Formats: sequence, C-alpha cells, structure tokens
Amino acid sequence: MLDIQVPAFLEPAMNTFRYAPLAIQLAMIFIVIAATGTLLAYFSILRSRYLGYRRDKRLSYLLPKVDNLIIEEVLTNPEVTETSYSDQLILNTEGFQELPMHKKWVREAITGRIMHFRRNVRGNMGQMLRSLYMQLDLDKDTMKKMKSGKWEKKVQALTEFINMDMSISDVTILPLTNSRNRELRAAARHAYIKLSKNEPFKFFDVVTEPLLMWDQVELFRIISSTEDIAIPNFARWITYSSNKSVVSFCLKLIVHYNQLPAVPAVIKLLDTKDHYLRANAINCLGKLRVPDVEEKLVSLYSSQPLHCQIEILKALGRISSGRYIDFLKQEFLHSTDFDLRKSAAKSLVKNEWIASQVLRELIDTANPENLRILKHCMNPLIKY
Amino acid sequence: MSKILLVEDDEIMPKIVARILPASEYELHHVSNGKEAFEKLDSTNYGYDLIITDIMMPYANGFEILSKVKNRERPIPVIIVSNAGNEDMIMEGFKLGADDFLKKPIIPAELLIRVKRLLMKNK
Amino acid sequence: MSGILETLGKLYESTLFVYGLVLLIVYALLAFFSMLAIRSYLRKNNDHQLDVLASSPMAPGITILAPAFNEGLTIISNVRSLLTLNYPRYEIVLINDGSTDNTMQQLIDEFKMVVVEYAYNAKIRTQPVKKIYKSTDPAYSSLLVIDKVNGKSKADAVNAGINIATFSYFVCTDVDCILHKDTLLELIKPVMQEEGKRVIAIGATLRIANSCEFDEGVMTRMRPPRQLLPRFQEVEYIRSFVLGKMGWSYINCVPNVSGGLGLFDKEVAIRSGGYDHSSFGEDMELLTRMCRYAHDNHIDYSIRYIPKTLCWTEAPSTLKIFNRQRTRWSRGLAQLIYAHFGMFMNPRYGKMGLIIFPFNFFFELLAPLIEFTGVVSYIVLAIMGRINWPYALLLLLFVYTYSVMITTISILWDQLSFRYYKSWKEVLYLCMTPFMEFLLYHPLIVVYSLRGYYYFLTGKKSTWGNMQRQGFGKKK
Repeated sequence: MLDIQVPAFLEPAMNTFRYAPLAIQLAMIFIVIAATGTLLAYFSILRSRYLGYRRDKRLSYLLPKVDNLIIEEVLTNPEVTETSYSDQLILNTEGFQELPMHKKWVREAITGRIMHFRRNVRGNMGQMLRSLYMQLDLDKDTMKKMKSGKWEKKVQALTEFINMDMSISDVTILPLTNSRNRELRAAARHAYIKLSKNEPFKFFDVVTEPLLMWDQVELFRIISSTEDIAIPNFARWITYSSNKSVVSFCLKLIVHYNQLPAVPAVIKLLDTKDHYLRANAINCLGKLRVPDVEEKLVSLYSSQPLHCQIEILKALGRISSGRYIDFLKQEFLHSTDFDLRKSAAKSLVKNEWIASQVLRELIDTANPENLRILKHCMNPLIKY
Repeated sequence: MSKILLVEDDEIMPKIVARILPASEYELHHVSNGKEAFEKLDSTNYGYDLIITDIMMPYANGFEILSKVKNRERPIPVIIVSNAGNEDMIMEGFKLGADDFLKKPIIPAELLIRVKRLLMKNK
Repeated sequence: MSGILETLGKLYESTLFVYGLVLLIVYALLAFFSMLAIRSYLRKNNDHQLDVLASSPMAPGITILAPAFNEGLTIISNVRSLLTLNYPRYEIVLINDGSTDNTMQQLIDEFKMVVVEYAYNAKIRTQPVKKIYKSTDPAYSSLLVIDKVNGKSKADAVNAGINIATFSYFVCTDVDCILHKDTLLELIKPVMQEEGKRVIAIGATLRIANSCEFDEGVMTRMRPPRQLLPRFQEVEYIRSFVLGKMGWSYINCVPNVSGGLGLFDKEVAIRSGGYDHSSFGEDMELLTRMCRYAHDNHIDYSIRYIPKTLCWTEAPSTLKIFNRQRTRWSRGLAQLIYAHFGMFMNPRYGKMGLIIFPFNFFFELLAPLIEFTGVVSYIVLAIMGRINWPYALLLLLFVYTYSVMITTISILWDQLSFRYYKSWKEVLYLCMTPFMEFLLYHPLIVVYSLRGYYYFLTGKKSTWGNMQRQGFGKKK
C-alpha cells in the first residue's frame, strides 16, 4: 500500500494491515491516531501547566514590587494635597524603569494592577493612577490592542479605556458600536457613554436590538459611576423609543435618579399593549411614590393580568397615601388568588400609619389562612 | 493612637487604606476574612476603637461581624466599605448598627474624615 | 435453520458496527463542540464582570434550596458557607426533611431561629410542612428553614422549597455539597447574557470532594481523590461535564442538569409541576418535563452549562454504596424513557425529541444491554472457536485507545481552561486513571445499570428513600 521502508519490527503489523478487511484497517489507523492524540494531550497539559506555573511565579515576584512602587513612589507624592490635583504633575516613575518594562507581559500586568487600584480608590489617588498609566505609556499598548483584529482584544482595550477614563475619538468608537460581534458592540456602546464628550445617550435613539439583562447591568454601572455625565430626562425614550428594552431600562434609571418630571410620560405608558412593560411602568410609579397616580392605577386594576395587578397592589403600599385602604381590604378579603391577597395584606401593613384600626379588625375576624397571611406580613423577621 | 481593624478580602485595598490612614496616628491591623476577624477580636478581647469591614467575605460576612460587635456592652464603631450597590444590602447594614457606609471606589479624603469623626464621637 | 442464524448473526454484527461507529462519531463531535463552547466561554469572561454583577442593584434575586436529612455533623458549617456566598440578592431556604437527628436543634441554637407564622402557599403538593423558622438575628435574615414531614425523597423536600421561594430563579443543591463562593454570580451571568432565548436551566461542573481539603465549609485545596473508586468517578465527572455537557450546551441540547447544582427558572419549574417524588432520577425527569412544557407553550428556551467547577460533592467510596447510587440512576433513566416515550423522534419536541431523547435511548439506556449481549456473544463465539483472535484484539485495542483518548482530551480541556490541582504530578496521576477505567470501572457500571433496569421491570420497592444524602459517611 505504501512504498516506504518500515522497520523490521513493524513488519508483522504491516502485513496484518495489508490483508485485513476494511473495518480492521480503519481500526488500526485509528489506534495510531488515538495513541498520538493521547500523547499530544499529555504534552499540551504539561506545557500549559508549565506556562501557567511560570506566569504565576513571575507575577508573584513582580506584583508586590509594582504595588510598592505605586504606593511608595506615586501615591505618596508630597506635591499632592487633598484638595488640588493637576494633570500636569510629573510623577516619580524611576522605580518602574528598573523593571523589565520592555516586556509586554510586564506592561500588561502593571496595567491590570493600576486598574485594580482604581476599582478601589478614586479622587486624587484615582487621578494619580491615571497619570501613572499615561506617563508609563501604557495607553499606547491599549491603543495597539484597539487596532488588533481580534474582537476580544478590542473589548479588553475598551475596558481599559473605560477604567482609565481616557477619552477616545468618536471616529474610533462609532464604527465599533455597529460591529457584528455582540460583545464588541456592547463594549463599544458602554465606552461611548462613558467617554464621548458629545451626546453620550445617543445610542438609545438608534439601538434596535433588545438590551440584554447583562447590558443593562453594565450600562447602569457606567451611567451611575460616571461623575461628570449630564443625566438627560429619560422620559424622552419612554415616549419615543420603540425598543421595549430601552424603555424598561429607562424606567429603572428614572427610579434611580428620582426623575419626577418624567412621571407624565410614565403614566402615558400605562396605555401600552405590552403588559410586561405596563407592569414595569406601574412598578416605577410606585417606587417614585407618586400619590396622584393611585386613582388611575385603581381604575385600571380590574382589567389587568395577574402580574400587573400585583404590581398595582405593591405600588399602593409603596405610595402609602392611606387613601385606598378600603380597596386593599376588599382585595385582601375577596380575591381568590393567594398572591393577590398577600400583596394586598403587605400593602395594608405598609399603610399601617393610618390603617392600624382596619388591620386590628381584620386580625380579629379573618379566617385561619388570611390570619396567617396578615401575621406573615406584620412580622419584621420576614423580609419578603 | 487608635487601633483599627480592617476586614477585607481584596489584596490591594489594605495597602491603600494603610496609605490613607497615617501610621503615626492609627494602628491598623488587617485580616482577610470573617473567621480571622473573629479570631483577632477574641484574642484582643475586642480591643479595637474602630472596625472597617467589607460585606461579602468568606467564612463570615460583614453582617455577622456587625451583629457580634454591636451586641456587646460597649459596641465598637463600624464603617462598611463595600462595592455593594444594592440598597437593601446597605440598609441591612445600617439596621445592624453600622455607623457609616462608603462605596468602593472610595475617596481617600472621605475615608479619613469619617474615620476621624467616628473616633472623635466615641472618645 | 443455520441459514437464518447466519443471517441473524450478520445482522447483529452490522448493527453493532453501525452503533459503535455512531457512538464514536458522537464523542468526536462532542469533543469538538465542547472545545468551541469552552473557548467562547473563556473569551467572554473576565473576573471583573463578576465584581460588576456583585455590586449591581440590578442583579436578579436567587433562592437557594438546600434539602437536609440527618446532616447533623456538617449542617452548621455548610449553612455558614451558603451565608457567605458572593451575591447581592439571595435567600437560603433550608428544608429539614424530617431529620431524626439533631439537625433542626443545631440550626435553632446556632442561628437563633424562631417559629414564624408564614404565609406558605403549596403550589406543588408535598408532605405537610410542620413549621417555618426565621432568625431573630438580622445578620441571618436571608436564612429560612422549613421543617417538614419526611417525604422519603429529595424531590418532595425541594418542592416544598420551591413553594416558598421568593425569587424567580432558584438554585437547587444538596446541603452536603460544597459550593464555590462565586457560584450564584457564575450561574446567573450566562442567563443574563443569553440572546433571544429564555434560559430555563443552567448547570456547572461538579467534582469529587473526597480528598479535597475543607475548612468550615470552604474549599481550601483541590486534590484528585486518593482512593481508586472515587478517582474513577472524578475522571468520569470531568468527561461527562467538561466534554459531554459543554458539547451539548454548544448546540443547546443539554440532556440533564445535575441535582448537585443547577439554577432553574422558577415559573417554568412550577408550571411543569415541580420534581416528581416517585422518580429515581428526579433532576433529569424535571428537566425533561420543563422542556416539554416549554415546547408545548412555544417558549423559545435554552439550557446551558458552564465549564467552571462550582460544586464539590462526596462520592461513594465503597462498592456497596456506589452500586446503590448507579442502580438508582439507571432505574431513573429507564423510568424517564418509559414515561416520556411519546417524545421519541417526535418533531414537535424539536431537538429534545430528535436529538436528546434518541441519544438517551440508544446510547444511555441501550448501551449496557448492547455491551452485555456483545460480551456474551463473544464468549459464545470463542467457545465455538469462531473468533479471529488478532482481529478481535485489534478491535478491542481500538475501543480501548479511543476511550482513553476521549477521557484524556476532557482532562486536557479542563486543564487548559482552569489549571485545577496544585501540581502536574496530581494531573498525571489523574491521567493514569483512564487506562484502568475500561477494565475495572466500566464493567461495574454496566452490571449496576442492568440491575437498575431489572428493578425497574420488576418494580422492586425501594428501601433507600433518602439514600442520596444518607449513604456515605462524612469525614469533612
């Protein structure tokens, strides 16, 4: 079959192979492949363990040095007072020059460390860490990653820029916000909000795909932790956006920033056909504690699906105006659904400042199950 | 000289705190989880003027530390330093008697002022 | 007559050949898919993301359900370790399933628990709940204990927990499992990152705790089991989770989320009826019903796995208990296939009906039977002197090397992504195990599986209702 010289000891194997049926021939080939594969796997395991071991060893040597340099040389700069700080300040980076800074992994480790510091401290120290990052020219590495062809490198670069609060030109970011890769697209949008000097919230207008729950977590962190960002009135997107996830995210932001001017837009949203969105709107109004909407909510109540009804009952508890005690009592006594009764009872308890009389009456007259619900809601040890 | 116990599982934070609170005025002890914190407190008979603690930590979380410390005859003031953004969690801390809360990343000056204020109040 | 036998023999032979070939191809594909899945997981992840989630007010709430039956030795440290998980919004529901030791009293004393009047609503029917406890110490406000009448099954206990769970996701675990501190963050993250589909369940890699070191419920040192039987199981778990489940996860065909650790969508779980207490494989059974419910209600769902090890569990270290466990598992499988056979090759159930179910039927359920008949016919042929020994041995060698390679590859994936264990020596030690697996461990599994099928067919009454948590002695 093959015309190459085989060593003598393989001769019997070759002979068997030559005269065997196809199945056996295949088996023999696969035995060789499997044995080689296994050996290769061993080799890869050993190699990766060795590389990992070497990396750990190097880092355990390097990182304490870096930490010390950052603390002793940089953060202990006598020129920095607690109140003033200038970007122009030249930091003492001599110590760093003694490290093998020409090596990429060293620079990467230092960048990572500075980021770690910045996650723990801001203010003047945060500013100094940023200056250090630039004065060590580490931003050039980040820029290089930005130009890499691999999306995960680009995401890494964007994360570094966001952490360091480095402004990037719109020309660099904007194309990435439409990237075909979802992770990269999301990272670019976050970076745009954090770093763009123009209209940070512009992408809310244009985004058509749903924001994932994860995107919302990242966006929320960025929006709430950026100090000099101009917070717009989110009612704009409540009214005009056709992207439901953007609307529901804006509702959460409205609650976070307690944007009372947005209330009319949120009330309008109650007319939406999407009942999940409606539930979110009710939730938002409740958390904003807008007393004027109670009437509207109660009038809507009977036509709503269960989860919206629960949200309405909760909202009445949050607003706690005391005006709808009878309604809550009614629901508690006559609703057939367990969760509705529980929510009504909870909201009654939240209205206790005015409803204590009603509550006492209810306790005296309730059937065993309702009594249990009431006691549950009144027990301070039970959270939910 | 005030004795401060820092309970924190991040490796960098203690270095930063040590830099913010000058060694000439504060004696800072650092432990990295709840178990060590209790060991330290027990071995010193709760001899600290202030405790700075994170919430989410191995062995025992910040709430347990708070609960133990605050249920003593002479409670030690406690500052929570955490990255928790969940309001419920922060409220829980205050309910357990935390004296102050600082969100990470912290502002050095702010930490210093709050530490000073709490120590003054409890003199 | 001999002509018919001859034809039958030929038919059997070629069926076996096709069967083996398909199995080999499936494993090769799984190895490939799992590589893709793990790579995409690693690319998407960095440690900082966990911090972001841990500090976010938008992290969804999660309820942890931990059933306990006579866990007096370890209950306190295990609850403590649950109390210190990294997550901003979660509650722990501990279900004391009618323990006859002092489990309940220990909990009351240690965590200052008192009986509360709790508005318990039994959406899923269970054995009666006797009392519900909360702690008077606000430091333990996230802990809730249900004291219920023993239901002779984990399913019944967990169902009571599902009834009381506050949040829309629940994590199901065993109280004697040790969880990684980032378990909740890691499990919920892929759920939040999923595009377009609703993740109804997600699991993570489990490993064997036997030789690991623990300190008050915290894992301090990971080590491959020293004893042979648990070590076989460690290797098996790595293969089944890192290679198998990850490969299936890549094409959204996860057949089972292990009972040791899994996160579930509460609404779907309740609507599917919760765990079935009469099932011997309640975890897989629930997942099958959840898929069925999702298909029937046009929910575009997915079930995922992550390659990271988040849970360590004590493995049976004696043959007797191991036998019980595996007999039980295979009996559960037989029950499941029997009960849901309507899904077999049913296009209405999408991938579940066309891929997962047939795979389970042919390569999980039938495999022990086929192997057994294979061995028997080999012996018969050998006695009749009709075996071509060199060829037979070559085929055997082929299966042997192939199985060793697949297992080694799964150890490789695991090592490349996480570099578990302390030294390369320990890994090498683990790598030697697959060589013995084929001859020592695998035959055991075949025999135990057949025993399980036999019990299924004869309907033998189970005498080990609480076995899964009671069987093996603790030394933690």
